[in-house]
Amino acid sequence: MTHYDYHRPETVEEVLGLKRVLPAATFIAGGTDLMVRIKNRVLNPPALISLRAVTELGGIEDGEHTRIGALTTIDELCRHPLIAERYPLLAQAARRLGSRQIRNVATLGGNLCNCSPCADTATPLLVYDAQVQLQGPDGSRQVTLAEFFVGPGQTCSSPEEILSQIILPPPPADARTLFMKKGRVKMDLAIASTSVVLVLDGELCQEARLAVGSVAPVALRLPLAESVLAGQKLSSELSAEVARVATTEIAPIGDIRASADYRRQIIEVYLRRSIDQLAGIVQ
Amino acid sequence: MTELKYIGKETPRPDGPDKAAGRAHYIHDLSRPGMLYGKVKFSEHAHARILRIDTSKAERLPGVQAVITAENTPEVRIGFIRDNFALKKGKVRQFRDEIAAVAAIDADIAAEAIDLIEVEYEALPGVFTTEEALADDAPLVHEIDPRGRPRNDNRLPLRFHHESGDLEAGRAAAKHIASGDFSTPVIQQSCMGTAGCIAEFDLNQQLTIWAKTQIPFLAQRDFNQALADMGLAGKNARVIVSALGGAFGSGLDTHAYEFISILLAHRTGKPVKIVYNRDEEFAYLSPRQSSQVSITQGCDDEGQLTFREIQVWQDNGAYTSWGATFPTVMMLPATSLYRVPNIFFDAKLVYTNNTYCQAMRGYGNPELAWALESNLDDLAEAAGIDPFELRLRNCNQPGETTPMGLKVTTCGLKECLQTVADKIAWPQKRSQGKRRGVGMASLFHVGGGGRIYRSDGTGMILKLDDFGNVNVYFGGVEMGQGMYSALSLAVAEALGVKPEKIFINPTDTGTCPWDVGTHASRGAFMACNAAIAASKKVRARIFERARALFANEAKKNLKKLHKKNPDFKAADFDVEAEARNGEFELQDGFVFLPAAPDESWLRVDLSQLLRAIHFREQGEMITAEAFYDPPNELPDWEKGYGNMSATYTWGTQGVEVEVDTETGEVKILHLVAAHDVGKVLNPQTLKGQTYGALAQGIGYALYEEVLSEQGRILNPNFRDYKIPTVAEMNFPIDLEFIETNDPEGPFGAKGIGEPGLVPTAPAIANAIYNAIGVRIHDLPITPEKILAALKNK
Ligand SMILES: Cc1cc2nc3c(=O)[nH]c(=O)nc-3n(C[C@H](O)[C@H](O)[C@H](O)COP(=O)(O)OP(=O)(O)OC[C@H]3O[C@@H](n4cnc5c(N)ncnc54)[C@H](O)[C@@H]3O)c2cc1C
Repeated sequence: MTHYDYHRPETVEEVLGLKRVLPAATFIAGGTDLMVRIKNRVLNPPALISLRAVTELGGIEDGEHTRIGALTTIDELCRHPLIAERYPLLAQAARRLGSRQIRNVATLGGNLCNCSPCADTATPLLVYDAQVQLQGPDGSRQVTLAEFFVGPGQTCSSPEEILSQIILPPPPADARTLFMKKGRVKMDLAIASTSVVLVLDGELCQEARLAVGSVAPVALRLPLAESVLAGQKLSSELSAEVARVATTEIAPIGDIRASADYRRQIIEVYLRRSIDQLAGIVQ
Repeated sequence: MTELKYIGKETPRPDGPDKAAGRAHYIHDLSRPGMLYGKVKFSEHAHARILRIDTSKAERLPGVQAVITAENTPEVRIGFIRDNFALKKGKVRQFRDEIAAVAAIDADIAAEAIDLIEVEYEALPGVFTTEEALADDAPLVHEIDPRGRPRNDNRLPLRFHHESGDLEAGRAAAKHIASGDFSTPVIQQSCMGTAGCIAEFDLNQQLTIWAKTQIPFLAQRDFNQALADMGLAGKNARVIVSALGGAFGSGLDTHAYEFISILLAHRTGKPVKIVYNRDEEFAYLSPRQSSQVSITQGCDDEGQLTFREIQVWQDNGAYTSWGATFPTVMMLPATSLYRVPNIFFDAKLVYTNNTYCQAMRGYGNPELAWALESNLDDLAEAAGIDPFELRLRNCNQPGETTPMGLKVTTCGLKECLQTVADKIAWPQKRSQGKRRGVGMASLFHVGGGGRIYRSDGTGMILKLDDFGNVNVYFGGVEMGQGMYSALSLAVAEALGVKPEKIFINPTDTGTCPWDVGTHASRGAFMACNAAIAASKKVRARIFERARALFANEAKKNLKKLHKKNPDFKAADFDVEAEARNGEFELQDGFVFLPAAPDESWLRVDLSQLLRAIHFREQGEMITAEAFYDPPNELPDWEKGYGNMSATYTWGTQGVEVEVDTETGEVKILHLVAAHDVGKVLNPQTLKGQTYGALAQGIGYALYEEVLSEQGRILNPNFRDYKIPTVAEMNFPIDLEFIETNDPEGPFGAKGIGEPGLVPTAPAIANAIYNAIGVRIHDLPITPEKILAALKNK
């Protein structure tokens, strides 16, 4: 039955304290993933610890590194001037997440902690080399996002820890960025998504960062494909080659949303098109 | 009727504000004192013997007031061939079979109790495709038929067949032939409001049921039969319809959950409400049936069609709903869309262990149009004739009788075809290249009722009161389509009062006259015709009484005027003499003499006259009743012959698409929908109906499919069952309404509820073919199917 106690602490300390006495309790942020699972009776927690009143988990802080509070809503990411200016890929991806109603309550922390391979904010954060800060009874630690994602629904944090901040190093200067997402309809969970960051020097690709979602147990960077692109002269042949190499780095599954082959196809097409578009290559 | 005052004018619908503000009362909002919540336990197998049901734990749960199974309740048979049961005994035949049910003091306890019911099964092999079902050694879904006779195969005892002309001669005369196998998937009606009801008995054992239904009077009949099965013969079910959040055909049958709530209400002596949540709606309510259609058409060198041969196979699922009769509607376009002299049509239905299906908007027509209109483009190509040209050459004409015996009165097909061609820029856009293309497809549907039952009638009561209000009682259902809007304009127009004086009462079998159901696009056509007939009676009675009463009321007016303005000069007029002639007019709520229409004191407010008729010795109230049964025939389905409707609708849709050949995505650039609607009643609601239908047509074409594996539905939610949203409808749409002013139509109108979604999918498929040269045979047209077809090209 869907009966549970609901706690609404106001500080991280209280959160951790509550979790200590209620080890079976579950954290809830926007609830857009969690409540679905509770309603479907996949989860049946005796208590929920809401993070929504914990003001120190909100806000976007400027600095050498940008710090985004885990409770920042997806809608805030869509609108925040700092995000739009420095991390436009994250804003692009945020705008494609769910519906307006979902974006109003869904949080960035929730999107990452839910750890779905199709989480829309995952690929932009991966290409921006994001780190996440975890806070637990034994203090806080910082891990890379790649370390944080362990498998579908599985992160490296322990049950007592919360995700408090997402930390973004300065983005590469003069980067060109493009997020692409394929759903069955516009508003859908991604059946494949790509994030591309290119730094160009004339016709030369100085730096390339590529990440893909929904095509492996976790969202991931594509080091091999990046290495094929970096330092090379851009051309449509090169984009095609990079995209082809990318398909060797992924392990998509087939399910009712799409076949594995189709996911592979989309990754190849989207990466090639993204690179072409950012490099100004006309097909 | 001279000039129309209200019909054809853009008018906000009367039920709009409350619905938009969330104040309309849907079944979900209703509650009764002492009401219990019912919940159903469904099968966990597609085909299995029930060995044991243990309800003891559920019974002991505090708050549970009844747990019922087939073992402890009377047998209640349902379905129009009575092959289904409210609660299943002995075996289950589909995943959603109802095995047990509980009534509890709240919904949570009911859900918990359901989990406590233990069922032991012995799994049986099932059949999940028509091929499996027809195999020689196929397991039988039903071992005995509804009359208790043994069955030896899985075929349904329903046959739909038509032959006309000489098929072999038609084949011999053909110079060009195209054949193809086409299929359509099971899809969800996707109503905003899920299904539900409240059943309540009074202490005389009379039943009242608030139901989400499109057929209140056929439902009353079914429920009364159930009462008889329960030992309550002679007792009555009063059916009340609350606001409906869409039905799209899902309300054309009575459902097991309704009978279960009746059984629970009877067992507990309390009102019992069952409302499906979205998951239940997806998994346990009947969706639209799938279809497999094999079609061959041929034409001569001039492009004249010489024959058409169609074989339909239908996976009926485990039980039979009215939806199983969808080949009756398939037969309409099969025999009568374009002129074809030699026709063979046959449909065969089989039981499987899949979810049983029911009606949905278009009722077989979109399924057949998909095959027919796709195949027609193949034929055009084989013959080297432009597809638009081919359609024009075979276009139907007003006044013709089709091979099925359908009498065409008015026919706007040619105008529809031409309008689409003009608006979509045919033929320029046919050869634009760049993976862009245009396609078109047409439709033919009933537009003047559809006699599939002994009566195709609808009753109407107009009850006028002392304030000049017109209370309307009719048996059809407003389910979101705009029925109240059409009907209030029709009554206002026919009677001569303002639309805001019209009050349409909730549908209730206890107060409203009989209607067969709101289906077959018949709602507005029927109700407006009945309204015209009833209005005539009202006017005649008022005018009759006015002979004696009018002059006195006019003089009262004059006196009032004089009081206000002593200088007022009335024209010299013998009102008594004129009134005695009995020639009156009623317009905008004023009764006047045609001889002096503008003289203000000679314009008597209708309410004033009604009070004069009422408040006198031997006074009267004005109420009139009419029953309109259209001039159409109940066809013989084994022969496939009979004029099913009083008039027919036509339409053509044209689409421009762009196909991404690397991702397989289809982008719609422009859509033109031209429909022969007879006459536009209210442009606002007509546009609403058509836009909505187009969205459903696009969903059918590109996205929607209930996926299942061994009878289990894999995507019972909107996360994985995709319908178009506003983002998918983001392209220009031209709606073109062709007015053919049908002589049988109310003000000339034809039914237009369903047609909008009928030709959309084949129009899109034909455009895709034009764009990239691949023909998709199976809906929906997913990107993966496009890529696969391109690969095989
Ligand atoms: C209709 C609908 C559409 C959706 N569409 C998309 C989409 O297009 N793309 C997409 O990526 N997602 C989508 N989602 C999923 C969901 O909205 C997102 O993943 C969202 O970002 C989750 O955030 P939340 O705050 O609601 O998380 P919650 O549901 O509150 O939490 C999710 C999980 O993370 C844990 N958690 C949350 N915050 C913390 C924290 N700070 N520390 C530790 N644990 C925490 C919770 O315990 C829970 O296990 C959709 C969901 C719905 C219902």
